[in-house]
This record gives sequence, C-alpha cells and structure tokens, in this order.
Amino acid sequence: MTAGLGFKLQHFAEALTARADGLWFEVHAENYMVDGGPRLAALMALRERHAVSLHGVGLSIVSADPPSADYLRRLQMLAERVSPAIMSDHLAWQKWGGTHHSDFLPFPRTREALGFAADNLSRVQDLLGRPILVENPSLYMDVSGHEMSETEFLIELAFLSGCGLLVDVNNVFVSASNLGFSADDYIDALPAALVGEIHVAGHSPDGDPNSSLIIDSHGAPVSDPVWRLYERLVGRIGARPTLIERDTDIPAFADLMAERAHAHALIRATEGTHV
Amino acid sequence: MSDLLSFQRRFASALENPGLVPAAHPTLRRAIRVHRNTAMKAAQDALADNYPVVRALVGEEAFAACAAGYAEANPPCDPRLCIYGRQFDAFLSGYVPFGSLPWLAGMARLEWLHIEALVAADNRALSSTSGQIGVDTRLSLHPAVRMLAYDAPVASLWLAHQPWAAAGAIERVEWQPEVALVTRPAHKVIVMVADPGMAAFLSACERGESLGDAARTADEAGGDVAQIFAALIAAGAFLKLEWRNR
Repeated sequence: MTAGLGFKLQHFAEALTARADGLWFEVHAENYMVDGGPRLAALMALRERHAVSLHGVGLSIVSADPPSADYLRRLQMLAERVSPAIMSDHLAWQKWGGTHHSDFLPFPRTREALGFAADNLSRVQDLLGRPILVENPSLYMDVSGHEMSETEFLIELAFLSGCGLLVDVNNVFVSASNLGFSADDYIDALPAALVGEIHVAGHSPDGDPNSSLIIDSHGAPVSDPVWRLYERLVGRIGARPTLIERDTDIPAFADLMAERAHAHALIRATEGTHV
Repeated sequence: MSDLLSFQRRFASALENPGLVPAAHPTLRRAIRVHRNTAMKAAQDALADNYPVVRALVGEEAFAACAAGYAEANPPCDPRLCIYGRQFDAFLSGYVPFGSLPWLAGMARLEWLHIEALVAADNRALSSTSGQIGVDTRLSLHPAVRMLAYDAPVASLWLAHQPWAAAGAIERVEWQPEVALVTRPAHKVIVMVADPGMAAFLSACERGESLGDAARTADEAGGDVAQIFAALIAAGAFLKLEWRNR
C-alpha cells in the first residue's frame, strides 16, 4: 500500500479496473454499516481487487458513554466482511443528548478525557481483535483546560489502549494555522512506531471575510505547504500508506489518480532512503 | 458532573444556539459557527442525496432552505448519514412554503422507502414459479420490498423524474391514486406502479395468505393472476423458499 484514494461510488467502474502500483482505497465505514444492497456489494467487489481501509467517522471516541451496541455490532460485521487492511477513526466526539453532530468536535485534553477515550478504544479493539488508528482532528478554537498537548495526548492514548495513529497532515496544518502553533514541531513530536497511516487533503479559507480561520474542506487539491509537511514527516519516519482525501467538488477519477501518483512517487523515493 | 460532560453540555448548547456565545469573543463565535456549519452541511447534503426527486420538484434553493429547517428540527441521531431523513415526509406535511404541493410528503415517503430498499438485507429472491410452489404455498416478501398506497400518482411522478424517462413524461402523468411498489432485483432498486390486482395479491401474501387465496383476491380486484405473479417474480418480490426461516 503506497498512495490510496477515497472510494466514491460514482467512480466504481474506474476504481475497480484501475491498476497502479500500491493503489488502495478508503471508505467511510458508516456508509456501509447496513444490512446489504448494491453499495455494500460494490465495496465487496472493490476489496477483491484492492486493499481497503475502513475509516470511521462516528465512533465518538472522546465520549463518557461507550459506543452503542448496535454501532459496534455493525462495525464488527463490516470488518468481518471486508477484512480491511486498516481501520481508523478520529480523536473527537460527536454524540450528545441523542444527537450525532457530523463533525469532529474539540474537548479539553485532560486525564479524565484520556481515560474515557482509552476505555472506548479498548472496547472496540477488543471486539475487533485489532488496533484502530486514531486521527488528529482539525481544530478551530482554543479550548481552555488542556492538561497536555495533542501529541502528548495521542501518545498516552496509544500507550493506554494500544491504538496506532493516523496522522492527517492537512489537519495539523489547519490546526497549527488556526491556533497559532508550529506544525513542524507537531510533526516532529510524533513517534515513528505509532504512525500507521497518513492523510493529506486540501483546505480552504473561511467564507466569512472577518475570519482568519482556514477550513479543512476536503474540497481542493493538496496545498504545497501540506506536501512539505508530509515530506518532513515521511523523511523522518519513512513511508506509510497515504490517503489523498477529497470529499467535495470531486474531480474526475483520472485527476485523483494524477494527484495520487505524486504521493506514490514521494513514497517510493522515501523508501529508497529508508532501507 | 465530570469535566468532560460539563464541557460537552456547554459546547452542544452553543452549537444549537451559536447566538448565545458572547459577542466579546468573536473568534470563539466564529469557531462555533464553523463546527455548526460542518455538521449542518453534512446533514443537509445527506438529505439532498436521499431525496433527489423532492429536490428536483421544488428546486435546489427551496430544497436547501427546507433541508436546513429539517436538519434543525430533526438533527441526525445516527452516524450513518446514508440513512438520514426518516421523518422528512412528516416534516414536509407541515412545511408551509410547500403548502401548494400537499402530495410532496407522499413523494418523500416513496423516496424513503427507496432508501430502505437500497440498504435491506441480501436474502435471495424467488426466481422461478416451478418446483415446490402450489396453491397452498405461503410466500414471504423479500426484505427489500416496500409498498405505498397514496392518493396521488407518486410512483408515476418518480418514474417521470428519472434520468432515463422519456421527454414529456411528467406532463403525461395521470392524476389519480396509486400504489407504488419498490423492489430490488439483482442489486438494483426499481419502482413501479402496482395495479389494483397486483397490490391486492402482494398484500395478501404479506398477510400470510396462501397463493390460492392471494390469487382469488387479485382476481376479485380485476387482475390477470398469471401475469401479476410473473411480474412479481421478475421484480424479485418474494423470498426464495429456503430463505424463509433464516
């Protein structure tokens, strides 16, 4: 697995027949956590040809309540069906009072939050019998009450639960820009042994002219500073499966493959220097 | 209350009422808006994906306003946004701006049944009338089968809005009550208009009546039973016999 793409149903035929060294696909697990039907069949056909990663967007790892029994049952069923190469979700919370907020919400990084997150992850990993990679979120606000940095929190979480890390380099760039910390320092603080996958994506300026935030939109090509951060990370830790994320304004499959070829070349070049 | 819970309670209430965040903290206000917009946009996009015909009927702009209202009133409670929008038909019945289209709720209901059919279990469908099937046989419906009796021609309108519909199909829809039948043969969801005989036959099977009794009911409703049965088999409406008790 070198560079992968997010799988879009509209690209099914092209994805199925695509042949490229190291190509793999990632899907949002929740879209396929259903009883059956053509979408699930498309994923099963895809996994016959390519390695597939199940990327969750709804586990709500940083919640006091554990994931629901129905959610876990469906995730387990899907994992058994697909035998994914990688499984992952986000360092965030989504559920509150019966509502699922479809975003990755921030929280104070306390020992208490760490305990909840580690318990929830352990529960899922025990059920699945495999580790989950946890992705760093995009941050837009400075929450008060942190007891540790995000990298310290992630490292502790990996130590307590046995999870790995999915480093979203674009999210590091977005958070660093919005909150005013050094993206380079963040990247340099990630232990190589924990990183199992990398995401790169595009971001956009906030639509509000009075705002200086940048938004993790997944709606633009990967920017040059994000590629530079990416090279900094893999230059130190070596190559990892890398996903080009694109969820809005989705271009033609060929354009995504061209962007993917760039990441693939970087990975192969990195492998040459890490033997 | 734990620190995390008390933070999440305050954060969730700010997401619901971003106006309550003090104006003295413009950066915080904007960040809450960004989070709120992301979550709302995901819900509204999912609704737009799941209700393409309602969207086509009212236009993008009117649909977007309506979807925002729905997402506010019925935010997702399940991370699986691919099945978001279960109560959209009920919401539309009370949605004043579309008051001149009272049957729009029926179209929403049909589109929801389409989603249910799309994600239903993959049990095998009965593919032939030969073998152990006789007048005493009681057939079960395939898990993807849905029926909707409505006092407007929502199935015909749905069909007329598909990309493959003939030009002028919308204008030719006859305004009358209809039974819509949704099935999923060979992994493709299809919608058809069930005539009274077919609807009677399928309803009888659903109630657990034997094929003989279902045929009598269909005959009384004025249907050609052999034709109806063949059409339902072709549509994958029945469960393969061996799958009934699984």
